[in-house]
Amino acid sequence: MTAQPGEPIIRTRELRKEYVMGAEVVYALNGVDVDIWRNDYVAIMGPSGSGKSTFMNMVGCLDTPTAGEYALNGQEVQLMNDDELAKIRNREIGFVFQTFNLLARATSLHNVELPLVYSGIPARERRQRAVEALETVQLADRMMHKPSELSGGQRQRVAIARALVNDPSILLADEPTGNLDSTTSLEIMDVFDKLHDRGQTIIMVTHEYDIAARAGRVITLVDGKVELKVDSPAFQAQAGVAAAGVGVLGSPGNVLGQTGAL
Amino acid sequence: MSLRQVRAQKLKSFFSLLGIAIGITFLIAVITLVEGMNRYVREDFAGSFFGVNTFSVIQRRQVNTGEVDREQRARERRNPRLRMDDVEVVRAAVPNALYFGYSAATSGEVRRDQYSRRGVRILGGSPQYEAIHGWDVEFGRGLTSVDDRQALPVAVIGSQIAERLFPSTSPLGRQVRAAGHRFTVVGVYEAQGGLTGSLRDAAMLIPFETFQRTVATRRQEVDEILIKVNRVDEMAPSMAAVEQALRVDRRLRPSEPNDFWVQTSSDLLDAWETINNVLLVALPGLVGISLVVGGIVIMNIMLLSVTDRTREIGLRKALGAKRKDIMFQFLTEASTLSVLGAVFGIFAGIGMAAIVESATPLPAAVSPVALAVAICLGLGVGIASGIYPAGRAARLDPIEALRFE
Repeated sequence: MTAQPGEPIIRTRELRKEYVMGAEVVYALNGVDVDIWRNDYVAIMGPSGSGKSTFMNMVGCLDTPTAGEYALNGQEVQLMNDDELAKIRNREIGFVFQTFNLLARATSLHNVELPLVYSGIPARERRQRAVEALETVQLADRMMHKPSELSGGQRQRVAIARALVNDPSILLADEPTGNLDSTTSLEIMDVFDKLHDRGQTIIMVTHEYDIAARAGRVITLVDGKVELKVDSPAFQAQAGVAAAGVGVLGSPGNVLGQTGAL
Repeated sequence: MSLRQVRAQKLKSFFSLLGIAIGITFLIAVITLVEGMNRYVREDFAGSFFGVNTFSVIQRRQVNTGEVDREQRARERRNPRLRMDDVEVVRAAVPNALYFGYSAATSGEVRRDQYSRRGVRILGGSPQYEAIHGWDVEFGRGLTSVDDRQALPVAVIGSQIAERLFPSTSPLGRQVRAAGHRFTVVGVYEAQGGLTGSLRDAAMLIPFETFQRTVATRRQEVDEILIKVNRVDEMAPSMAAVEQALRVDRRLRPSEPNDFWVQTSSDLLDAWETINNVLLVALPGLVGISLVVGGIVIMNIMLLSVTDRTREIGLRKALGAKRKDIMFQFLTEASTLSVLGAVFGIFAGIGMAAIVESATPLPAAVSPVALAVAICLGLGVGIASGIYPAGRAARLDPIEALRFE
């Protein structure tokens, strides 16, 4: 929310991604400059086709930019090969997906252990850390259940535990409540809030204003460019009606244009 | 993990296992039987039928090695039968033989009161016949030269005959009847068991002279003349001497072939070797075909599985799986499938060999080498057929894979 000393966790400069579709060149990202600091809670919004998925893929090190720079914790991601990307995803990023993406035939415990398998952690430590992660999301009593035996909210909590288990620098959530009813959505958002309170850096893609309103900052992408960067109270004022459930707070003043702080 | 995957897709897995399993079943069954035959021929058959340093003279060759043309076989069939005159010629040609013997045989029913056994091999053997074959007596005594000289109606019987005709009493001193003649049992041979058992355990030996005067259908004829020499280096010269003596006696011209056959145990081994080689050459081809088919099935199953699990692969990559991790996962799955197939094949193969063993006199011997080869083949087929699907999985783009429906 406020300017912090030192280097940002995420720093993109002139980030570009082009796709060639037949004869046309599509600019999915057209020069994006974003800084995200430790313990930021950032919501990414934008209409479909705005480039927010591409941006998330880029931030999640699933893809590399056509041009520009992306430094994650000081590491130059744009220079990495496939295996280096896999390693940095494993160590630095915890993914939470809209569709949970749990292994259907594996227990909660085994699902949560999966990232640790790819870090080469020995089985005993894997299990211990997976149990701790499940305790964090209050699912210690569902360790041996398979996804089919869990409710949607429980499944997403397992997925969150999986994202947390390797103690990542950032938690990257792509519409984490998109497949959940409103009550369960609130329950999941509470989990994110708690994680943020504990110091976790969170980046979340969402369509919903009231979800975005919980974040400290909102970045809106349009046509592959950053259209708007605001901190949340101001956003709430703008979003107004849509965020009725959260309550409209008084605006603390105009924070638009504080780009240096973002 | 891989086993869990295999279990999760039971039907698919079953079919992919089948190809490999059939191939390995075949491999194990054939190798087991060939090994069994081999061991039997080498350790049992050649030794007991035909001890070491032993050769025999017979009317014509018994084992066809496949290199003899029809004309030659027809000619050999016209060879004169061996007679007692020939025995004396051969005896004179090998004065230094360790043992010298001859025999004639017929088969028929042997009876005692209400008990009887058909198809008994009734052998008329010269006094040293038992010694040459190494037949040991378990009860009573063997045949002596006195029995032969006086043509006494005595017999030594094999263990199977003893069991059949004397289920509850000792056979020694009792009489049995064969072809209308009575013989007093003076001894019982040790049971030999196995395939060779049918030769000795179901035989009845009587003195050659007694045979001549009782059950013989053609008098003065012998089936084989047996010579055992002291040392292996005496074999060749002794065989040459016998051959020469018989040729002279039968007045064969140098251009004429022998009208008799001198046989050693190595002839039998050679013949076996030929059969063996044919089997062992044909085998890899047959096994190869089923393994290739099995491999193709596994490859298809794996390709299907890669498509089915595209999202899972995307997820694993997102969570930090490197190419080699994905590669390894699918290779392990393919290998698990095919090794499992191989293991089923091994059990089925051993089972098949056991069935063959119990239904026929063919012995079976499970060789550890065959098992190792089977497992290695399974692993090899798994890796070979898994490498392409695994490579495809490993190269998937994580974003597209995660988006895959």
